[in-house]
Amino acid sequence: MKLRVGVVTDRGEQAELAEALGYDLVVVRDAAGPLDAWTLLSWIAARTERIHLAADVAPPSRPAVLGRSAASLDLLSGGRVELALAGSPAAGEALDVIRGILDADEPGPLTYLGDHYRVPQAQRGPLPAHRVPVHVSGYGPDELRLAGRAADGWIASLDELEPGGLAAANKVIDEAARLAGREPEEIRRLLVIDPDVPLRELLTLRDQGVGAFLVHGDAAALERFAAEIAPALRSDEPDRKTRSSRVRAKRREGIDYDNVPPSLAEAAVEPGDLDYARVRNTYLRGGAPGLVLRARTTEQVVDALAFVRAHPGVPFGIRSAGHGVSGRSTNDGGIVLSVADMNAIEVVDEARRLVRIGPGARWVDVAATLAPYGWALSSGDYGGVGVGGLATAGGVGWLARAHGLTIDHLRAVEMVLADGTVVRASADENPDLFWAVRGAGANFGVVTSFEFEVDEVGDVGFGQFVVGADDPARLLVAWGNAIEAAPRDVSGQLIMGPRRPGQPSLAQVMAVVAAGEPEIVIDRLRPLAQVGPLYDQNVVLTPYAGIMANVAEGYHRGQGEPVSRSGLLEHLTPEFGAAVARMLAGGAVHWFQIRTVGGAVADVPPEATAYAHRSANFSVVAMGSDPRRVDAAWAELSGHFDGMYLSFETDRSPARLADAFPPATLARLRELKRRYDPHHLFRDNFTIDPRGGQR
Amino acid sequence: MTDYGHDLLFGTFITPTAQPAHRAVELAVVADRAGLDLATFQDHPYQPRFHDTWTLMSYAAARTERIHLSGNVLNLPLRPPAVLARSVASLDVLSGGRIELGLGAGGFWDPIVAMGGRRLTPGQSVAALEEGIGVIRQVWAVDDPGPVKVDGEYYQVAGAKRGPAPAHDVKIWVGAYKPRMLRLVGRAADGALPSLSYLPGGADDLAELNRHIDEGAEAAGRDPRAVRRLLNIGGRFAPAGRAFLDGPAEQWAEELAGLTLEHGVSAFILAADDPMTIERFAAEVAPATRQLVAEERTEGDDEQR
Repeated sequence: MKLRVGVVTDRGEQAELAEALGYDLVVVRDAAGPLDAWTLLSWIAARTERIHLAADVAPPSRPAVLGRSAASLDLLSGGRVELALAGSPAAGEALDVIRGILDADEPGPLTYLGDHYRVPQAQRGPLPAHRVPVHVSGYGPDELRLAGRAADGWIASLDELEPGGLAAANKVIDEAARLAGREPEEIRRLLVIDPDVPLRELLTLRDQGVGAFLVHGDAAALERFAAEIAPALRSDEPDRKTRSSRVRAKRREGIDYDNVPPSLAEAAVEPGDLDYARVRNTYLRGGAPGLVLRARTTEQVVDALAFVRAHPGVPFGIRSAGHGVSGRSTNDGGIVLSVADMNAIEVVDEARRLVRIGPGARWVDVAATLAPYGWALSSGDYGGVGVGGLATAGGVGWLARAHGLTIDHLRAVEMVLADGTVVRASADENPDLFWAVRGAGANFGVVTSFEFEVDEVGDVGFGQFVVGADDPARLLVAWGNAIEAAPRDVSGQLIMGPRRPGQPSLAQVMAVVAAGEPEIVIDRLRPLAQVGPLYDQNVVLTPYAGIMANVAEGYHRGQGEPVSRSGLLEHLTPEFGAAVARMLAGGAVHWFQIRTVGGAVADVPPEATAYAHRSANFSVVAMGSDPRRVDAAWAELSGHFDGMYLSFETDRSPARLADAFPPATLARLRELKRRYDPHHLFRDNFTIDPRGGQR
Repeated sequence: MTDYGHDLLFGTFITPTAQPAHRAVELAVVADRAGLDLATFQDHPYQPRFHDTWTLMSYAAARTERIHLSGNVLNLPLRPPAVLARSVASLDVLSGGRIELGLGAGGFWDPIVAMGGRRLTPGQSVAALEEGIGVIRQVWAVDDPGPVKVDGEYYQVAGAKRGPAPAHDVKIWVGAYKPRMLRLVGRAADGALPSLSYLPGGADDLAELNRHIDEGAEAAGRDPRAVRRLLNIGGRFAPAGRAFLDGPAEQWAEELAGLTLEHGVSAFILAADDPMTIERFAAEVAPATRQLVAEERTEGDDEQR
């Protein structure tokens, strides 16, 4: 444990001075000064940038409020907050309640019925920026045992300790820690000292296990201590990340946690870590991976894949922004490689509109970066989706008919192959790989950088309509005809849900017109607004970036395991419409969407990319929660489809590969899989078994 | 027609959203730079989507320079009055006298109880609020002899040290709608702070609210003008007038000036979570409203003469 040097004060200016002098921590003690400690600490947090901040307070009458306050200030301060509870009979219960609020990822609300506090059902959170340490101060056996059992540190004043008192206290703390299944090192010993204690004595105390010295005094004393004493106390050992027994207890079988590559260890996330809540789930589903490796560089991706190669039996997911409907960017007990932090977006060549984008960038950020140039890149319909997953599968969105799929704009990738080789793939370099990565990329490597040629796209028209859907079959046919008759500057989608008793059936019809002139926009949208009785409408002219700014803030909190089925088809026939109407009436499908393809998408020959079903005009998605019921309902539709789109499919049965890829495409992919991933490293995302069978 | 003659205050009502963490602070900074008088924050201590409002206010106070800050309104059932008084006074000292105390009796009892608070009936919550205000004023009264002693039905303080003294005369503004609470405001508070959207009859209800406040004040021997009438409002700017506070800035100014001159409202706090609306309210609505009110008040004086 790296030694810390801090300051105890009741004045804001001293805290700012302490930061300037390089102290690690400032402790505000409630009993010491005239001001309320928590208020002062919050004030100090706004006036400092680096120093850690602790309030030492008596157990409050509302510990749940203090827990939430600590989480707030930790978020505001960028993860710098600590708490200390002054010893009292209520301290242990207060600590448990505060910890219960701070542990925002624990299931369900906090229920705590103690002798001092009754918290029947408090919501946990917000999730702080880091794990907020909670210390205990005091000298009695109860306080010492509490520190050992449950606290992150113990605070005492040297003046208050008898000779030999530190060793005696440490013994009690250590025993209590072991009794609670903790390691004594997990409890930092923080000692408040006068700044004139001789260095020799401080070194002895350090050797007795003191992990932090907290000085108090005037500005001159703080300066002197910082300049003369603190450097001699601090050791050179690096602050290696260690995990407490509580965190280690949540580790999963089969993962060699102690041999995570050093380049990834600092940022790695385990189930007991605070950041786990931020990386475990995806947009739509709950996940429980055993280890999340967060890469920032291509070299770290190489290291991560080496680690994954050493874990052949462990599930392996790759995550860019964690939106993925197909659900392969999290897992249960496996390894997830997150490239979310590889999110740079840079213009490489303005004349050619060439843009380099990291796999972790989100489309909202891509659109916002390109907008000032008057450019846009065809993407999906939601700004929170990550580039990596979408740009290796297809990319069907608001500009599809006008500008094609996302992959149609790809000019080159840098990717890490299964054996750790870093290659570039383009029309000229590794063309086979470049072909495969555009539609089946997840089978062949981890793309670490994409190069796109983007389009000049000015303001676009965006229309949103609510139309009556009492006759869904008729509506689908009418909408399909209107789309097929529309020029290719129109792309859009239609969304329907199950019929709700006593309410009119409604459909949402949305469309983007890739043209900035209001007359053209109105002209293009009018036929779409007339496919059924119009209940509501909204039409705006906006940059593409305005449409993509539709992202919910915060980390993903998806739960459960949604079922999603995908199909591609050329025309919305009356027979198909009738089948959809029956499916919706059945109730198994909660959400039904058709997006437009065709247009520019169909300009690309089917053999040009691994995404091959180019003749389709419509991409259909049905979502529900019960796989058996959804599959049964979907089976009634499947005869109408010619192909499907991997990004919207959750069925992992091998037959789906034959839906996604026509025979010639699949044969070529299998041959390439044999060449590039013979040992089947990329195995969990619609994998093509190199051994020839369909897995 | 009741105009209590207060100078006008213009403020913003900010959602204390915890995600992104600095959104609410940034809006307070925008309001400060735009020249508004007040940045106020909702308080729902049981709601983890929000920051703890007191913590957020303390942080925002350190990031702003001129604007006054207040809860709108702080949840007394989860913020015990002695601690709250000390916190408010502390922040008032730190900020150089920029803190006001918007206070509420509590409304959503299920989540309050879920957090460890005590369930009160509406009548009890009024009584508790009055006791709470008493505790707060005692803590602030550093020149009074002896420690704070309150043996109330809802709050007991056994000899707590007084202080710190606030840096300025911190106003206590109470979220109030019903007669009992309004009379309490007249008796014991410095202002009433309802939301226009909660008034079933709209602005016309303000006359009734004022009547109860005035009665409460007079019964306690206070001048009704000692109680400021604040109002939370919502609205949007539009090129053409469509409805109340839905139109161009000039229309807003006329409507707000009307509320001042007819109902004595002297603080308008706009629920707005976007910088453009805040800046427009400060730059276009506030000065125009002040001017209209000043003109009418001068005219009124002339007529009386």
